Amino acid sequence: MSALDDNAKEIAEDAGGEGVATSSPEINQKEQDNRSEGPIILFFILGLFASLILGWIIFPKLLYSKKKQPIDFNHVLHVAEVEDGCESCHFFREDGTYSGVPKLEQCIDCHEEIQGDSPDEIKFVEEYVSKGREVPWLIYSRQPDSVFFSHAAHVKVAGMDCVTCHGHIGESESLKIYEENRITGYSRDIWGKSIGGFKKNTWDRMKMDDCAECHRKNTAKIERAGVKTPTNRLIDHFIDVVYPGTSKFGKGSSVQTERDACFVCHK
Amino acid sequence: MKIDRRSFLSFLIGGAAGTTLSPLTWKLMDDSAIWTQMWPWTPVPADGEASYVNSACSLCSGGCGITVRKIDDRAVKIEGMKGHPVNNGGLCILGLSGLQLLYGPTRVRTPLKRVGQRGQGRWEKISWKDAISEVAETLGDLREKGHSHTVGFISGSDRGTVPRLFDRFLTVYGSPNLMRTSSIIDSYELTLHLMQGAQALPGFDFENADFILSFGSGILDGWGSPVRMFRANSTWCNTGGKVIQIEPRLSNTAAKSDKWIPVNPGTEAALALGIAHVIIKESLYHAEFINYYSEGFDDWKRFVLGEYGPDSVATITGIDSTTIIALARSFARASKPLAICGRGQGTTPGSLNECTAVHALNALVGNINKKGGIFAVAEPDYINWPEVEMDVRAAAGMQKDRLDGAGSKKYPFSRYLLNRLPQAINSGEKYPLKALFVAGANPLYTMSDSKAVKKAFDKVPFVVSFSSYMDETAQNADLILPNHTYLERYEDIPTPAGMPRPVIGLSRPVVEPQFNTKHTGDVIILLAKAMGGNIADAFAWNSYDECLKETLGYKWRVMVEKGFWSYPDFFVQTHEESFDTVSGKFEFAPKETGSLKQFKPVNIEGDKTNYPLLLIPYDSIRLANGVVGDPPFVMKSVEDTVLKGTDVFIELNPKTAGEHGLREGQLAMLSTPVGKARVKVHLFDGIMPGLVALPRGLGHTAFDDYLAGKGINFNELIGPVEDSVSGLDAAWGIRVKLAKA
Amino acid sequence: MKHKKAKKYGMVIDLDKCTGCGSCMVACMAENNVPFRKDESDKLLSITWMRIYKLTNGKPFPNTDICYLPRPCMHCEGQHEGHSPCVTVCPAIATDYSSETGIVSQIYTRCFGCRYCMASCPYHARYFNWWDPVWPDGMEKYLSPNVSPRMRGVVEKCSFCFHRYQMAKEKAFMEGRRKVEEDEYQTACTQACPAGAITFGDLNNPNHTVYRMVKPDPKHHGRPTNPNAFRLLERLGTNPKVYYLSSREWIRRAGDNYLKSESIAKKPAHHE
Repeated sequence: MSALDDNAKEIAEDAGGEGVATSSPEINQKEQDNRSEGPIILFFILGLFASLILGWIIFPKLLYSKKKQPIDFNHVLHVAEVEDGCESCHFFREDGTYSGVPKLEQCIDCHEEIQGDSPDEIKFVEEYVSKGREVPWLIYSRQPDSVFFSHAAHVKVAGMDCVTCHGHIGESESLKIYEENRITGYSRDIWGKSIGGFKKNTWDRMKMDDCAECHRKNTAKIERAGVKTPTNRLIDHFIDVVYPGTSKFGKGSSVQTERDACFVCHK
Repeated sequence: MKIDRRSFLSFLIGGAAGTTLSPLTWKLMDDSAIWTQMWPWTPVPADGEASYVNSACSLCSGGCGITVRKIDDRAVKIEGMKGHPVNNGGLCILGLSGLQLLYGPTRVRTPLKRVGQRGQGRWEKISWKDAISEVAETLGDLREKGHSHTVGFISGSDRGTVPRLFDRFLTVYGSPNLMRTSSIIDSYELTLHLMQGAQALPGFDFENADFILSFGSGILDGWGSPVRMFRANSTWCNTGGKVIQIEPRLSNTAAKSDKWIPVNPGTEAALALGIAHVIIKESLYHAEFINYYSEGFDDWKRFVLGEYGPDSVATITGIDSTTIIALARSFARASKPLAICGRGQGTTPGSLNECTAVHALNALVGNINKKGGIFAVAEPDYINWPEVEMDVRAAAGMQKDRLDGAGSKKYPFSRYLLNRLPQAINSGEKYPLKALFVAGANPLYTMSDSKAVKKAFDKVPFVVSFSSYMDETAQNADLILPNHTYLERYEDIPTPAGMPRPVIGLSRPVVEPQFNTKHTGDVIILLAKAMGGNIADAFAWNSYDECLKETLGYKWRVMVEKGFWSYPDFFVQTHEESFDTVSGKFEFAPKETGSLKQFKPVNIEGDKTNYPLLLIPYDSIRLANGVVGDPPFVMKSVEDTVLKGTDVFIELNPKTAGEHGLREGQLAMLSTPVGKARVKVHLFDGIMPGLVALPRGLGHTAFDDYLAGKGINFNELIGPVEDSVSGLDAAWGIRVKLAKA
Repeated sequence: MKHKKAKKYGMVIDLDKCTGCGSCMVACMAENNVPFRKDESDKLLSITWMRIYKLTNGKPFPNTDICYLPRPCMHCEGQHEGHSPCVTVCPAIATDYSSETGIVSQIYTRCFGCRYCMASCPYHARYFNWWDPVWPDGMEKYLSPNVSPRMRGVVEKCSFCFHRYQMAKEKAFMEGRRKVEEDEYQTACTQACPAGAITFGDLNNPNHTVYRMVKPDPKHHGRPTNPNAFRLLERLGTNPKVYYLSSREWIRRAGDNYLKSESIAKKPAHHE
């Protein structure tokens, strides 16, 4: 009702302020100011919150479709069984390529027959092992086709551990829901759980910037290690902070970007 | 509450502020950028474990070893096998694109039975069981009626276990009509038989030769085992070996040779005799070989010295006499000279006269069965199956004359005369052909005078194709029993053409059969079993693979491991034991064929007044003209001066073009006594005036859209010309008329 | 020097041995997932990272001569490191010169298809994807996972089979090595060439065959000191890393567009 009244009044006022005189003009003016300021701020806040809610809460729900892995998997249980940590199943092939998610071939050694009473294991043996079908795992960290990533370079040469990029997945007892970006088809883990792109840990995001961040830091570190004088190091650090990427020690192999050449990570 | 305009605007501003503070825009922008960079319809090849499988290529008779790179169960790349005696790592353009055939749209995916008219392309899928029983029934009926000899079989080769299974089947069934696709090898086999008494293939020791006199052989255009020839050429580059190329057109071989000598087309034999004349006259020949290991030299010498002096040969060949004399001298004085023939890729046998004349040059310099020379390589006898037991019907059928006339009184020395088959069927002189099987061959495309071949095929009531691909012959068959491709099957690959020592390759399944195809060897075995009786008894194997394993015996394991068997204990016969002729020596003038010593030009079709120019074909390694056509990758490599859109170019000397008022790129009408074609003109200084050259390998009507309907099939414009001694096709060209279109 | 151990991968093509057979072209297409279309006879639109050109000496019959010239990307170094004609003009940083390997890279997902690089490349080594790549049903099975298929609207070119370098490096890492040996990294065309006309290796490494074949002169941007060796359009100063060998003078002249009146013996000085 009141909204309608207000509307009527406004229309009247717009028409020239003639007609119904309810009170003195001054009071009227004051009242009007009081009355209109409130809703304006309110609407601003309303709009603000609505869009914030849309952007931060609803949008990610719309953007990502949720998919369950075909069967659940307990990393903790398996890590306890194997001798060589992650590399027992996620191994390197002789040619230096990385095998990624294990194939049936590896699982079959133990799971030819049903071992325990977990329903997922029973499903695994019955649906996949005995039928010789590969499990269509959804891969959280799958990179797009344009990316070349050498596990050998990072693990075998740089001596990084799996956790740096993949987090503590080895300590998980079940597989989380796989979320797929409806536009790009990427796993949510590439952009990161936080829709705002914020990260606390190195493994929170896997986009190109994240690769670059680490590379920039470490290339500089490696190159600088050879320089002895603390003064040099200080100057270099200063250049690195003020003009990132231009320090002659931090310079990568690319002539164009002065970072690592594009082909290093792309194919 | 009242929503006035200002509140609404305020709401929007709040919304905008909120959106800015929320990740929505930025995230959407990033995602849509990614989306546009990686369209979902651009395929993403699946990654997996890489592995390599050694096998052998059988797309031509070159017999290269291949190493196929696989990712999980997909074959992703074919590469040349390192350490293989034929190709050692290199591979030709066709072999490299083999995966486009394996996974390509031209595959016949299941047995097919014709529904509509022949060639209409309407098929019905049938089961293997039905297909085989239908064939067995038809063959059974014919045999019942005593018509077993009316069954013909065209095979790409007669060597190796699968062709031998065809042979065995026809023998025990009762038909003499197994025919092989002809090539220069036929002429060489005959030459070796007549001059050396050998049942053997020619083997050329190119790697050790230092002076190659090539009478038009496209050493670098696909002659012999192509990759081996490329390698040999590079060896000559390093060692200083010389190549002299004699042909009327500047082919790739001619361009890479040390000297290109343009010759009037079809007069190569006269040139060979002219060179012989100079060698004999100047006593440059290998006296020891001539005196101790040859027969009939004096007779031949008299004749050569009499008629083929440099001046008269110069008139015939168009090469001046000083060049002939110089050529003869450098050939005879080279330490390891070698003369070869077979025009282009050697797909036409040519005249026997030419082959013997060229071979006589090798004898003159004594390089028969010698390092750097030419060898008679007997096929290693690894196929030892028990003799078949023929019943009365089979024996009666085998008594009948061959339809193609090979081995007849007229052509007693030839084994196969496929070129005579269309005429034999069309004329109906002997007996009709009631069933025809085609395997490893595509006669409707590769045989000359396409129209006559088509007419002959139309007269055969039952045509069965074993092709893996929908080629011209399969397209016009009644039944297609598709074979696995060479990347899906086991098969022995016999010694490649021209190898001086035997090598058997092993083709093995690189991937699982992709479609409902069956090994032709298995089909023959099943067919034999379905027919029962003696026929079934002759095929006691359960499967082809079993047959092959048993046949290869102890070699099998080595071949599976290495990919080939190279006969480590193979040795070269000495001259004393090389010749199995009546005299036990090399025959310069085989008695059976007195006429051979004389140069007799091949009478090509057409008269000079109506057809003033000469049309010759040319071969290119980038244009496959055998059993398969160019896959898409190879088509891509064809130059735009050979094919533009669907128009093929003829090569024409600017002088000839000028006389005909033709310019570069202009359309012209080409007519020969056999056919007509619309072509475009490409001016090329490297071709002799008066000649028109057209590439082989185009003008397909079958296979896929990447190949079909482009250019002209040379065989539509030319017909076979029978060689008077061998009966083989001796045509090297045809007379032609050229007019603006 | 900051890149003491930097490599400079390059190629030497012996035109005396090259027969124009086309194996290099197809080996390249098969290795690099190069698409094809129904009509490939318009060579301006036909994507061939490696393309064989046919040269003729222009003389009338019978003095005519032809020569085949395979042309990959020249991976130009330019007058100073990375000053390649194409790299300098790219507004998207989609193409780049690596000072570690000397290879000019192309990142398809970054390219937005302006084709400046194509205009600036004097060798016609770059190709534009005017259409989406389409493989007939089932044929996409042979696609290699080592090279990403390109989409419509981007430029592509020869990469010196960079993925093979990456693969060789991974293998070396696995075996505890950091160095990739000469025979471990060879391009697909080099490997396939039946005539053995292509040699590939590090031009900075005197032990590599390519170095020994051309003997690049470091004072003149790697200009070959072998008198039979030449580079295409040497005078433009693009400083390419592909060298050609020929014993025939007319071919060497053709390689640098020499005019009839010019003498080849006098190598023109670069603008420096």
